[in-house]
Amino acid sequence: MDVFSTNFATIDWIIVIVYICIPVVIGVIVRKYVRQLSDFIVAGRSLRLFIAIATLTGTELGLVTVMYNSQLGFKHGFSAFHVGIIETVCILAIGLTGFIVYKLRELRIMTIPEFYEKRFGRNVQIVGGIILAVGGIMNMGLFLQAGARFMMGVTGYSNPAGLKIFMSIMLIMVLIYTVLGGMVSVVLNDFLQFVVLSIGMLVGSYFVIQKIGWSNLFKAPDVVDKASWFNPFAEGSGFGSIYVIFMVVLTFSAGALWQSGTLRALAAKSPKVAKQLFAWGSISYLARRVIPMLWGICAFIFVSQSPTLLSAFQGPDALNSQFGMPIFIAKILPSGFLGLIAAGMFAAFMSTHDSYLLSWSSVITQDIVAPLKKGHLSDESRLLITRISIVCIGLFLLIWGLWFEAPVSLWNYMAVTGTIYLAGAFTVVTSGLYWKKASKTGAMIALCAGLLAFGGIGPWTRGDNVPFYASDKFIGLMTFAIAILGMIIGSLLFPDKDKQTEVAQ
Amino acid sequence: MSWALFWKIVLIFCLSAYSLLVVAVSFGGIKNIIDMLKELGAPRNHE
Repeated sequence: MDVFSTNFATIDWIIVIVYICIPVVIGVIVRKYVRQLSDFIVAGRSLRLFIAIATLTGTELGLVTVMYNSQLGFKHGFSAFHVGIIETVCILAIGLTGFIVYKLRELRIMTIPEFYEKRFGRNVQIVGGIILAVGGIMNMGLFLQAGARFMMGVTGYSNPAGLKIFMSIMLIMVLIYTVLGGMVSVVLNDFLQFVVLSIGMLVGSYFVIQKIGWSNLFKAPDVVDKASWFNPFAEGSGFGSIYVIFMVVLTFSAGALWQSGTLRALAAKSPKVAKQLFAWGSISYLARRVIPMLWGICAFIFVSQSPTLLSAFQGPDALNSQFGMPIFIAKILPSGFLGLIAAGMFAAFMSTHDSYLLSWSSVITQDIVAPLKKGHLSDESRLLITRISIVCIGLFLLIWGLWFEAPVSLWNYMAVTGTIYLAGAFTVVTSGLYWKKASKTGAMIALCAGLLAFGGIGPWTRGDNVPFYASDKFIGLMTFAIAILGMIIGSLLFPDKDKQTEVAQ
Repeated sequence: MSWALFWKIVLIFCLSAYSLLVVAVSFGGIKNIIDMLKELGAPRNHE
């Protein structure tokens, strides 16, 4: 069986091309609704519950999400499901208690570093803004690469130059409509993409389960260790206790404070809607993990049944395991539906990119450039800077995605780069909201501690030909621990003399 | 309970709950969009 053989036909290309034009048209149409900065960044704080759920899902269920989760399923089997369970419980807990998100929405801020400014002052805001932007942009550094691999796997276009072509086209489409329509455009596209992608994923799940067989699905393939295929704590599963603890800390902090997701809470109609959004959205968080992992598991079972395919994923010249799921669905889904799935995934790719571009560019404008200018920036100037930032981030993504190959799995890369921002942000926001003694010095130490997570993508995480070995999960977990300790010790040793506005009160 | 059975229950719950959510959000979302665009299109003061 040819590895890159596919059912993708001309009709599928037509479906994809027609579909990718829709967001650009929406961007042009809704441009008239963007009259001030809050319209552009938080859609005038007008999101009601259903549309907020759709846009939260549209953002957090991206093509890169599908790729890294299917890769986890492909490599680790059902034991990867534990990440979905942990994340769902964390998001539900945030929704039921309103922890962090309720208070942030009450403050009517547009970005997380704006809170730093209100609670700890301008310097903390600028440092926090820089770390957030660096961590966030690094985090999305491999989105294009993963997206391009999906399109190559599905379409069967295996020419290496195809990677660059796909990446460039994808990026240009997103840049156009995000720059034009801002959050209003993003919300409408997210809704459309939520509907198309969700239906595609549910129907697609029917096809993949039918192909493998419901009873065969829960039997570990002969080529893997049966215990570690199901049990995340088993030796050889690739996870273990430290990883599980890291996931609890990471998904809880990301659930509450990942800028693109939190932006939905900040754009919600009221603090109550922000809370409900997370409670109901927890189902989406479960689906965004479990369904792609299911596809990855089915892909591995399928590959393990074909010696040709299996050998393509083994040995020194093995294909990247990210190719497993797209190559699988390209062979089993019928033409026409495959085009719809590809369009849905492309939509997912765009919906994540647009929100992330908007998130990080708004942080650059609101929390780095504007404070440095001491607030002397008109709404028009801020809009212009935000739009220029979007284009600059896009260029970085293109360059970074072309040459950087992560030493760890895609999800682990995302986890450690996310930690650069989250370790400090979670500590600073939580202590700022709920601990009166939290000080500027403590906040600075906690934010800077997040930079330690850069170590999680270093060559020593590979474990071979390096003077010392440190796993990415260990580095990630330690970064959180050091940030929390830094906040406590810094605040107790160096309390604030001139009290800022006491948000906690 | 075995891990395989546990993951089977998780999978069935996920597919069922998400299907219901998609139906509810699809219909509710259209009404929300109309309300949002009306609100953004209406005259208002700067915040």
